[in-house]
Order: sequence, then C-alpha cells, then structure tokens
Amino acid sequence: MIEVRDLTINIEGKHITQHVDFTIPRGRITSLIGESGSGKSMTVSALLGMLPVDAKVSGYVMYEGRNVLDASDQEMESVRKQDVFTIFQDASNSFNPSVKMGRQLYAFSGERVGDTIDVFNEKMKLILDQLGLAWDVVEQYPFQLSGGMLQRCMIACAFYVEPALLIADEPTSALDMVLQKEFIQLLIRLNEERNTTILLITHDLDIVAEAAHEMAVMQQGTIVETGTVETVFSNPHHAYTKRLLESRF
Amino acid sequence: MISKWVGKRMVMGIVVLFIVSFLSFFIMQAAPGDPAAAFYGGNAQTLTAAEKERITRAYALDRPVAQQYIAWLGETVKGNLGTSSKEGRPVSEIIMERLPNTLLLFSVTMFFIIIGSIWLGTVAGMREGSIWDKGLSTFSIATSSIPAFWLGILFIYFFAVSLGILPSSGSGDVEGNGGVIDKISHLIMPASVLIVTHVGIYARFLQESIKIENSQYYVKVARANGVTESSIRKGVVRNASIPYLNYIAMTIPSFFGGSIIVESLFAWSGIGQLTVKAVTTKDFPLLMGSIMVTGILVVITLFIVDLIMYAMDPKMRKGGAR
Repeated sequence: MIEVRDLTINIEGKHITQHVDFTIPRGRITSLIGESGSGKSMTVSALLGMLPVDAKVSGYVMYEGRNVLDASDQEMESVRKQDVFTIFQDASNSFNPSVKMGRQLYAFSGERVGDTIDVFNEKMKLILDQLGLAWDVVEQYPFQLSGGMLQRCMIACAFYVEPALLIADEPTSALDMVLQKEFIQLLIRLNEERNTTILLITHDLDIVAEAAHEMAVMQQGTIVETGTVETVFSNPHHAYTKRLLESRF
Repeated sequence: MISKWVGKRMVMGIVVLFIVSFLSFFIMQAAPGDPAAAFYGGNAQTLTAAEKERITRAYALDRPVAQQYIAWLGETVKGNLGTSSKEGRPVSEIIMERLPNTLLLFSVTMFFIIIGSIWLGTVAGMREGSIWDKGLSTFSIATSSIPAFWLGILFIYFFAVSLGILPSSGSGDVEGNGGVIDKISHLIMPASVLIVTHVGIYARFLQESIKIENSQYYVKVARANGVTESSIRKGVVRNASIPYLNYIAMTIPSFFGGSIIVESLFAWSGIGQLTVKAVTTKDFPLLMGSIMVTGILVVITLFIVDLIMYAMDPKMRKGGAR
C-alpha cells in the first residue's frame, strides 16, 4: 500500500535518515522498530508531509501510485484528512486542555468524515461503549482523564474514521504494562475487524511479537532488516537485530 | 465554588487597598514641607509661625502619624474622605467631578488597545516568518520605547499648533456646551498617545504567546489528523489569550501610572491630573483620596480580568493544576 524508497532526510546538514526502504502491505500490521533517535518519528513526519520547514528530503514515498513527497500542502492535507489517522505517543498532551472532550472527539472523527453532531453522538456512544469508556468522558476536559483513557479516546476516533492507514507512533510508551496490553489488543481488533492497515512504531520487541505481521528494524537512520515477524525472529541477519532479540529475554 | 473564589478575590483586593493606603500615608509624611502651608496656597509665605501653629493644632497635624492614619482610616471606611485643604470642599465631591473623565479615557484607550492588540497579535502570531510577524516585532519595540509625553508634545505640535484641527488641552471647551463632539475632539489626542504607546507591546505579547501555543503537541496531533484549520486556530487563540490576559492584569497598575503623565500633559481633568495637583499643593486629604480611588479602580479592573480568565480557563475552574 505504501512503498518507501530511498528516503533520505537531511536537517541542517545532518542526516536524520539515509536510504530508507520498506513497504507497508495493505491489511497488515507493519512494525517499525528502533531505538529512540533512530529516525522513526521523522520517517512518520515524512509520510504525513509534516516535516519541519528546514528539512531537505529526497526519495519516494509511493501512496496509491503517487509520490507524497511531491504533493502540495493542500493535497497532503486532504490525504491526512481522508485516508490516514495518526495516534501519537503522548496522549495526555494530544488534546487541547481547555476544550471539552466531546468537541475534540468530534473534530477528530465526525467532522473529518462529514457527519453531523447527532450522527456522531450516536456512533461514538457505541464505540466508546465497546472500548469500555463511559459516555460522560465527552463532558470532561482532557486533564480530568488518565493517559490510558485519553489514548483509548484516540483509538475510538480511529474506529470511527476507519482510515485506510493507521499510524501509531509509540502509542503505548506512556502507558503502564496492563494498559499497554489492552491497547495493543485494540489495535489488533481494529486490524482484524475493519481490515485497517497499521504502521506501528515502537522500540519494544514484545509489542512487535504480540501485534505485528511485518517488521522493519531501524538503526541510526537506516533500515537494517525487513521481513515478516516470524522470519526475522527465527533468523535475524543483522548484528543489531540479533542484539535486540537477545536483550529481549 | 465560584462564590468562594469571588470571596477570596474580594478579601485580597481589600487587603491590597489597606496596604496602599498605609504606605502612601506614611510616605507622604516623609515628604519635605509643611502640610499646614497648603491651607493658604499661594499666600503661604506670608504666614507667621503662630498662624502656622494654630492651623497645625486645629487640624491635628501635630499628633503622631499613626494616630492621624487611624483617624483617617476610620473616617474613610465610613465613606468620608475628608475635606480638601486647598479647596475647602469635600474630597469625594472633587473626585466625583473628575472620575467620569478618567473612566472615559481609561475605557476608550483600553478598548482600542485590546481590540488592536488582539487583531495585530493574532495576525502576526499565526503567520510565523511573514512580514506581519517581523513587522510587529519592530513596531512594538519602536512604539513602546517612545516616551508618552514626547509623543504627546509632537501630537500637540502637529494637530493643534500646525494644523489647528484639534484642541491642545483640556477635557471640554470653555465656551462649549459639553456635547459629544466637543468631548471627542478633546479625547482624541490623549487617547491616541496612550493607545500608540501601548498597543504594540500588548500585541507582541499575544503574538509570542500564540507562537508558543502553535508549537504545542496537541496542535501537531490535530494537524496530523486533518482537524480543520479554523477550529485549530480557535483553540490556539483561546489558550494563548490566557497568558495575554494575565499580562494585561500585571501591567494595569503601570498603565494607570502612565496615564497620569498623559492626563497632566493634555490637562485632561481626570484623577491623574488631580493627583499631580494634590502633590504639588501638598493637599494631603485630596492626595489620599485620589490614590485610594485609583487603587479601587485597579483592584476592580484586576477583578474583572480575573473573572474573564476564570471563565476561559477550565483548569482554574475545575481546581486542577496551574
């Protein structure tokens, strides 16, 4: 579905990523794993067309037959609005602190797909119910909810929007172990129930083992290994991947 | 919840007024000169020592300062601000004549400063790196470093002396009927001096605050997820205006200080000019009265700003952190 070819990002003369190659197959959960500072988040920014202004970028990010790196700001805006949903790491700062959750959830979901507030209320109520959230959250402000609840609110919007691609950028690193597990289950459910393609960025191999089908290992701005989770886990080639797998147990 | 909060603010305001009265009363006593001389104004030189002493005793000016303060406080709390030693009229009467002018000047300038700075600050803050952004930074430094009295003199030179289209001073024509047009023509210059010297710095504060808000995490998340630009903007401006309001509240006292100079320059007969006059004539009851009225104005304005902030910031309302 998305093919990243030879993606090189350069900020103020420093290479953030170099010749990054990987693919995100449709309907699968692809995991991009690497330590912090390896260029994962910048790669995501490139996919979303949200790189900082001073970034120089070359290569291809092919989405539905065109290179999104060449797309205009307006085109990218409509891609972000219609096809992609992104969940970020820090759920507690992902919402505007002085606006009630209901209004914000609507902006993230119903408004995007063009639903009226009534349709949104009905549909969101069902989704929140399924995700174990009470409907009262819409009457509350973000700072009144926990990080886990906020991250579930985010994924509720993903369930609502049913995007072609869900990007989850370290969605669980701010959550405790129990919530992490729960959240990963929700991602898997979204993938299985709605056949959503997911790009899961993480530094945690356990999460990869639990959720992903495909994986790409990133180290210092380059992809060192790609393949299905089974093959990489059973037969790692690169020294860094081997070290990662060893340190897991 | 709200009533408790309002009660707390009111108690704080009253405490502030007490401190203001205490400090100004004692500092005033430290000033050189004889308050008894004020009763005779221009003829003070002709007073003999015996006459001075008689006045001093008659008005209890020989008693300890603390005793005088307590007596003054007791009467003030009851609403009696005393009698002006220069004019021989009740202080409250003199202040009530001046108060409408000060309120008019203050509300007109504040209105335009707030409207102007919100508009400029939002336009500049939202378009980072644009000509508006850089232009406002320069404009605000330039205007806020112009002394108000100097700009006032320039204005008088241009509009009153050279062009002759605006009156150079006063708050109403001597022969005028006190109509609206007369008032406005006198108001234009002092108001625009205050507006020009203040609007830039307030706009710049909002601009910076919007820029900071624009780089917040939640804005990035919202942009990444195709939330409409207009609702992102609305959220950003709203959040950025809380520190902006705070800044207004912080600078209100010095704004009143600045308006004293402008009132004196344009002979705008408001509380500011009255305060200056009371100082130069050593008219202590009048000086205390005008300081207290200014203090009350400041406290009320801060209270209103606090109320607006309270309504806008749910964190404050819900008693969360901050």
